[in-house]
Amino acid sequence: MITIEQIAKKFSGKSGEVIALEPFSQEIAEGELVSIIGPSGCGKSTLLRIIAGLETPTSGKIVLGTSGLKRPVGFVFQDAVLLPWKTVAENIRFPLDTSGVPRSQGDQKVKELIQLVGLAGFENSLPKQLSGGMKQRAAIARALADDPPILLMDEPFSAVDLLTRETLNDELSRIWRKTGKTILLVTHSVEEAAYLGTRVMVMSPRPGRLRKTFDVDLPSPRGEETKRSPEFLDLVAELRTMMREMTQ
Amino acid sequence: MSGRLRATAEYGAALALLGLAWWYASGPYGMPPYLLPSPASVLTTLWNMLAAGQLLPHIAFTIQNIVLGLLIGTVFGVLLAYLLFKTPFLNDVLEGPLVVLQTAPKIALAPLIIIWFGLGLTAKIVLIFSLVFFPVFAGALAGFRAIDSRLHDLAQLLRLTPAQRFFRVDLLASLPSIFVGVKIGAIQALVGAILAEWMSGAQGLGYLMTYATATYKTPILFGAVLLTALFGMVMHALLNEIEARFLSWNVPDER
Ligand SMILES: Nc1ncnc2c1ncn2[C@@H]1O[C@H](COP(=O)(O)OP(=O)(O)OP(=O)(O)O)[C@@H](O)[C@H]1O
Ligand SMILES: [Mg+2]
Repeated sequence: MITIEQIAKKFSGKSGEVIALEPFSQEIAEGELVSIIGPSGCGKSTLLRIIAGLETPTSGKIVLGTSGLKRPVGFVFQDAVLLPWKTVAENIRFPLDTSGVPRSQGDQKVKELIQLVGLAGFENSLPKQLSGGMKQRAAIARALADDPPILLMDEPFSAVDLLTRETLNDELSRIWRKTGKTILLVTHSVEEAAYLGTRVMVMSPRPGRLRKTFDVDLPSPRGEETKRSPEFLDLVAELRTMMREMTQ
Repeated sequence: MSGRLRATAEYGAALALLGLAWWYASGPYGMPPYLLPSPASVLTTLWNMLAAGQLLPHIAFTIQNIVLGLLIGTVFGVLLAYLLFKTPFLNDVLEGPLVVLQTAPKIALAPLIIIWFGLGLTAKIVLIFSLVFFPVFAGALAGFRAIDSRLHDLAQLLRLTPAQRFFRVDLLASLPSIFVGVKIGAIQALVGAILAEWMSGAQGLGYLMTYATATYKTPILFGAVLLTALFGMVMHALLNEIEARFLSWNVPDER
């Protein structure tokens, strides 16, 4: 579904060159949910932006097996990036409006999405009236609006409080199981990475590269019991050790 | 809301004070009417002209020129700014000359504009246009350049067409900045319209002023000045209202 072939990225600016990503390859199958973790600056956002076509790689290429779809990827940015002049509902329907989906059909979809992300009652609020977490939820709803087969999420829950975060985690897991989307999720939380992912990619910084990939063999659907299972706790401990080594 | 009410009250009080001073100077103080006609005589003159159908055509003419010049100037200012924003080559070539033109005193060029474009409507609109164009252009260019780069990412991600990008993202995102230019341009447009009418033609509030001066009809002169000031205030209020209604998303809510 997503083939990463020897992707590398170098930024050259006034203050010299930054190697954001060293060449690496990876194959992500259709319907996988791959978590990506790694210290700040290791190129996680850059990788996602390259896959989304927002950044051109210095070398290598990305192949999306989405057979010429106009909008193959939905993207949830690190901070929401809503259109400040539009209400929550208008923001969520923006991808639909701009691809010619009829009004009534769009209305129905927006209603469902607002329920899904728990923003009922805030349909007509402007972004400036929302908290960071609410904006992020609106951004998630927008990314889902036109039903892209691939969903790229860059720390989507970092501005959300812990309880909401757990709810949204389960919600994301449910959406993923139901829709069979291919999801790449960047996160700073090793628990979140292990809890949601079928695989966890660990990246290391300076220069950014893929350090190791872990297969997560936990039964699905996952829930509170998963978080107490020895397999889960072992994986989290291993990931945490690896992260600690890298930041020292 | 209460803030707005108070502003209106303060505004009204200042105007009332000004009116009172005027009345005092022309009445009890005894300034001669050909220098300072009384408020009553000015209002009577205006009323008589209105009743005779001699006033509205002049007002309509001036307003029409201002609105036309403002519209054309705004459209072209925004479009050229967008062209420069989108094509770095044009930006490099044109930015220098435009800055020079921008600082050139357009009012001083008014006679030249009349020589070039004749005594009719065209010259008037061109003068107003030249006054509106630059502030709007400058505001729009600053606005386009200040667009959050992540909005460009979003537009690219959604594969928006060039028209969708312009109308649904870039234009709206820069609207507050464009509007700053329009507000400056509107005041300039009023000045330009009056000036153009001083110089040629036989219509408009500006013409009325020169006519009244030449024939020593001071009440008409005062009336025309009063109406021009009034129109300026109405325009200002209207623009503020538009801003409050459509650009409030840009202003953080008070908490
Ligand atoms: N547009 C750019 N120009 C120059 N350097 C850049 C640019 N974008 C990213 N970089 C550099 O590339 C490296 C990787 O950045 P990236 O944003 O991908 O890291 P990240 O893993 O997402 O970090 P974080 O966890 O803090 O979000 C960093 O060293 C960063 O400074
Ligand atoms: Mg990042």
